[in-house]
Amino acid sequence: MKPNAPHNIRLVTAASLFDGHDAAINIMRRILQSHGAEIIHLGHNRSAKDIVETAIEEDAHGIAITSYQGGHVEFFKYIKDLLDESGCGHIKIFGGGGGTILPEEAAELHQYGICRIYSPDDGRTMGLEGMITHLLQQCRPEPDGPFWKAEASWDNLAPLGEHKDIRRIARAITHAELGNPSMPQSLPARTAPVLGITGTGGAGKSSVTDEIVRRFLNSFLDKTVAVVSVDPSKKKTGGALLGDRIRMNSISHPRAYMRSLATRLDNTALSGHVQEALDICKAAGFDLVILESAGVGQSDASILDHCDLSLYIMTPEFGAASQLEKINMLDYADVVAINKYDKAGSADAVADVCKQYKRSRNLWTAANHELPVVGTMASKFNDEGINHLFDLLLEKLASKCQAHFGRYAFGSTAKVSQAIIPPKRTRYLSEIADTVRQYNSMVTQQAEVASKMYQLDGAIKICQTPQQHD
Amino acid sequence: MDISLILQKHYNQLRQQLSPQNAALLQQWETLKEQYSGADLAYTVRNKTISQPLTTTSLSGTKIPKVVLPQYADWGDVLRWQLQENVPGEFPYTAGVFPLKRDGEDPTRMFAGEGGPERTNRRFHYVSHGQPAIRLSTAFDSVTLYGEDPALRPDIFGKVGNSGVSIATIDDAKKLYSGFDLCAPNTSVSMTINGPAPMLLAFFMNAAIDQECEKWISQHEQWPRVEEYAQAKFERLPKPAYHNPLVPETLPPGHSGLGLRLLGLSGAEVLPPEAYAKCRQTALQQVRGTVQADILKEDQAQNTCIFSTEFALKLMGDVQEFFIAEKVQNFYSVSISGYHIAEAGANPITQLAFTLANGFTFVEYYLSRGMHIDDFAPNLSFFFSNGMDPEYSVIGRVARRIWAKAMKYKYNANERSQKLKYHIQTSGRSLHAQEIDFNDIRTTLQALYAIYDNCNSLHTNAYDEAITTPTEESVRRAMAIQLIINRELGSAKTENFMQGSFALEQMTELVEEAVMIEFDRLNERGGVLGAMERMYQRNKIQEESMHYETQKHTGELPLIGVNTFLSKSGSPTILPGEVIRSNTEEKAQQIANLEAFWERNALQSQESLDRLRQVAIANGNIFAELMHTVQHCSLGQITTALYEVGGQYRRNM
Repeated sequence: MKPNAPHNIRLVTAASLFDGHDAAINIMRRILQSHGAEIIHLGHNRSAKDIVETAIEEDAHGIAITSYQGGHVEFFKYIKDLLDESGCGHIKIFGGGGGTILPEEAAELHQYGICRIYSPDDGRTMGLEGMITHLLQQCRPEPDGPFWKAEASWDNLAPLGEHKDIRRIARAITHAELGNPSMPQSLPARTAPVLGITGTGGAGKSSVTDEIVRRFLNSFLDKTVAVVSVDPSKKKTGGALLGDRIRMNSISHPRAYMRSLATRLDNTALSGHVQEALDICKAAGFDLVILESAGVGQSDASILDHCDLSLYIMTPEFGAASQLEKINMLDYADVVAINKYDKAGSADAVADVCKQYKRSRNLWTAANHELPVVGTMASKFNDEGINHLFDLLLEKLASKCQAHFGRYAFGSTAKVSQAIIPPKRTRYLSEIADTVRQYNSMVTQQAEVASKMYQLDGAIKICQTPQQHD
Repeated sequence: MDISLILQKHYNQLRQQLSPQNAALLQQWETLKEQYSGADLAYTVRNKTISQPLTTTSLSGTKIPKVVLPQYADWGDVLRWQLQENVPGEFPYTAGVFPLKRDGEDPTRMFAGEGGPERTNRRFHYVSHGQPAIRLSTAFDSVTLYGEDPALRPDIFGKVGNSGVSIATIDDAKKLYSGFDLCAPNTSVSMTINGPAPMLLAFFMNAAIDQECEKWISQHEQWPRVEEYAQAKFERLPKPAYHNPLVPETLPPGHSGLGLRLLGLSGAEVLPPEAYAKCRQTALQQVRGTVQADILKEDQAQNTCIFSTEFALKLMGDVQEFFIAEKVQNFYSVSISGYHIAEAGANPITQLAFTLANGFTFVEYYLSRGMHIDDFAPNLSFFFSNGMDPEYSVIGRVARRIWAKAMKYKYNANERSQKLKYHIQTSGRSLHAQEIDFNDIRTTLQALYAIYDNCNSLHTNAYDEAITTPTEESVRRAMAIQLIINRELGSAKTENFMQGSFALEQMTELVEEAVMIEFDRLNERGGVLGAMERMYQRNKIQEESMHYETQKHTGELPLIGVNTFLSKSGSPTILPGEVIRSNTEEKAQQIANLEAFWERNALQSQESLDRLRQVAIANGNIFAELMHTVQHCSLGQITTALYEVGGQYRRNM
C-alpha cells in the first residue's frame, strides 16, 4: 500500500515506571512539537505495557522515554519485547537517562534493537536540536518501509490481551487521515452510539472523559469503549501536543481503545478525518464511542455533526450571565456539566446556565433539578456529581439512541468529609504575611522609642552629673 | 524649668509607648548578658533541666564562648536584636531553637538504601558503628516509593532494590532496622517516603512494637513458649529468615540481634493482650524519627504521588490524629520538604516560600479537622536543601523566624509549637559529573552554611553522587566533612558564630520579605491548593530551572571545572568505575519472601483489606486500621485496595 506523503511523525513520550523525573522529557517533547511532531505525552511513572499499548493504539512511529531510576536495561528491552510480540517491531524506541545509563548498557540496548539511547556526550556534541533532528529522521516512514509493511504481517489475534485488534483499528485511522483508500473492514458497520464531549479549554474535558470511561468499564464488564480525542495542531510548526492521555487513568484497559488526532490543516475543534475515525471504531464493534473535541470558543458547535448525544463541559468562571447567551452549544447540548464545582459562585453558575438552557428551549416552567445540567468535580474521586452525570448520560443514551447497557451500581468510596481548606480560611497565607509584617513594623516602631529613651536617659544623666571645673 | 525635668517628662511619655513585654526585655538584658558570661547555662527542655558548659578552650588556652551576645549600648539596638534575633532558644528563634547544641550528638544523618533489607541493614550498621547516636535515614527503591510490590515483570524487576531498599512487608521492615533498639532515646530513624508513607510508617511502628515485645518475652523468660508457637506455625507455612546473599554467614558487626526473633509473627499473637498493649504504648511513645510524607511538594516537584491529592491529605491527617491519640510525641509525622523543590530547579527563595506555605497549609487543614495547634505543631518538621547561593546562608534563620512569628501571633501557639526544626541535605543538583573531586569542596561549603545556621540534622552528599550511587568510601568522606566542621573547626565551637554580621542580618530581612511577597502571590491564586491547580508552583520551578541552566551554559554562572577552569583534557564527564546495582539473587529473594508472606497470610489478608476499605468508606481513621492491616498485607495489596476507595493520582501538565 502506497502511503500519501507528507506524513506527520507521531511519537509517544513518557518517563519510565516508578520514575517521577519528567523535566527532561518535557523539554524534549516541546522541541519535538516545534519540529512538527505530534506528541502523545503520557507523563511520568508509566509501565512498559502502558507505553506500548499507547504506541500501538496511536499508530505511533516512535517512543521516546527517559529513565533516571535504574532498571533501564530491563525496561527498554521489555518494551522492545512487547512491541515485537505484538507485531509492532516497526515502532522505534529512543531513550535517555543522563549519566545513569552507562555506555556499555547503551551499547547492549542498541544491540537489542533500541534505536538510540542518547547520552550526555551526545547532548554536548549534537546539541538538543541535533538530537531531535536525528530522532525524527529515524522515525520518518519510508514508502515500503517497515512501518507500512507491518500490517501485512499481522495475524488476527488481538495483541497485549486486548479485546480487539488495536493495530488494525489504529492503522485504518492512519490511512483515513492520509486520505489513502480505506482498509477492507472485517466487520459490518455497527451502530454504536457516539457521545460527543466538547467545551472550553481547561474545563476538564479529559478528566471528565476519564471518569466516564472508568464508570463505564467498571459498570459493564463485557462492554467495550473507544475514545477519539482531538487536539489542535499549531499553525506555525505543524506539531501538536496530544495531551489528553496524561490525565487518563482508566484508558489503559483491554476493553478500551483511544486514538488522539491532531486537527492538522483544519482550523477547527475537530480533525477533518474525525468522522472516518468514528466509523472505523463503530465498524470495529465498540459498544460506545466517545468523541472529545479540542477546547472550543463560544460559537463552535461542530461536534453536533458527528455525535448522537452531546455533552458540553464548562466551568463556573464564564463571567457575566449574558456571556451564556453567546454559547451555541448551550442551545444544543443534551447534557451540560459545570465542572470544578468547588469554585466560588458555582451554585449561581448552575442557576444561570439552567436559566439559559430553559430560555433557549422555551422550557419556562421546568424546575432546575429536572434539567440535564450538573455540577461536577472531576478532580475528586468518585464525585457524586460525576455519578449523576453518568446516570444522565446513560438515560439519554437509552432514550435518544436506544442504547441499553444494563444495570450498574457505583462502588462506595472513602469520605473526605469536608474541603481541605475551608472556604473562609483560604486567605491564610495573606493573614500570615500580614502578621509577620505587623510584627516587623512593631519592632521598628518600638526600637525607635527605645532608642529615644536611651538618648534621653543619657542626656538626663549628663544633666544630673555635677559639673566639674578645673 | 529644669532641663532634666523636661527630659524626664519626654522620657516618661516615651515609656508609655513602650509595650510592657518590650520594657521587660530591656530590663532583663543585663541579667541575660550575665547569664551568658557564666561557666554553665541551665535551661529546661520539656520539663527536664539541662546544664551545659558555655565555653570550650582552644589549644592556645582561649576560652571560646558558645554563645556571644552583642555589645550594644543603645536600647533601640538591644530591643531590635532581642525581637528579631535573640539568643538561640528564645523567640523568634532566629539563631536556633535550642539554647545550646546537645552534647554527644552531631546532627549527622546519612541516607542509605540499596538492595534488600539485609544489605541496607548492613550499611546502617556500618555508618553508625561507634557513633554515640544512631541516626538512620532510609532511601527506598522506586517500586516502594510508588507503593508497589516487587515482581518478576521486567519493568518492575529491574528497579527492585535500585537506588534504595526494597520493602514490601512488615518482615522486610523488621529486618531493615534489626539490631538497633528503635525505642532507645538515642536512636532516630528517618524514612524518605511520601505517597505510601502511611503504610511504611505502619510497618515501622509495628517493627518497633514487636521489638518491645521481644524485650518483654526475654524479661519474662517466655522464649520457649513463643518458639513452640512459632514452630507450630511454621510447620505449615514458610518461615521467614534474615539472609543476606552477599554475606550469608554473619550478622553485620554491631548487630544486637534485636528485632529478628519475631519475624513472621506479631507480638499480638504471642503476648498476653495487656502485655502487648503495654509494649505498644511504650513503643509508640518512645520511637524517635521522621517520615517525609509531604504530599504537597510531591505534586509540586517530585512526582511520587500515588493517591488523589485530597485522599493523600486525608491520610496525612489520619496519621496526625493517631499520633495525638496515642501520644506519639517524639516522631515527626511529616517532613515538610523544600529539598525536592530546589532539586527540581527552584531558587532558594522559592524553595523557602513554597515549603513554608505548604507547612501552613497542613496547619490549616489539621486545624479544620479539629486538632489543636499545640497537639500537632511539634510533630511537624522541615527539610531544606543547601546550595551555593548567598540566600542559603540564612535559610534556617528566616524559616525559624517566620514560623515563630506566625505560630505565636497568628495561631496563638505555645513555645514548643513555635520552634521550627529542620534537616538539611547539601544540594545534589550543585554537584557535577565533571571534576567530581571538586564536589566535596562544594559540599563542605554548603555544610558550613548549614552548621553555622544551626540546622537540627544534616546530610552531606558524597562527591560521586552526580554519577552513581555512593560507595562506602565516598560516603565516609561525606561524613568526614561534617565531622571535621563539627569537631575540628574552631569557629564552629561558637554556636552563633554568624550572628551580628551586617550582611547576614540584612540578607535575613531581604529573604523574609521576599518570602512574604511569594505568600501574597500564592494567596492571589487561591492559596497553595488553588495555585497547584493552575500548576503555578511547577511552572515557576521550571522557569527558575531554565534560568540556572541558561546561565550555566553561557558561563555567566561560573562553575569551576564545569564551564571554567577546565583541565588540560577539558574536564570531561567522569564515568563511574564501580556501579552498585542490586543483584539478581537479592531481587529474586525479595520476590520469594513476598510470596511466602502472602502464603503465610492467605487466610487473613482479604479480610484485612476489606476492613481497611470499610474504615475508609466510613471516614474512620485509616492509619489506625493500617496498623493492623500491615500485619497481614503487603504494600502493593494495600495500595491497590486504597485505590479502589480513595482514587489514583491524576497526572497533569
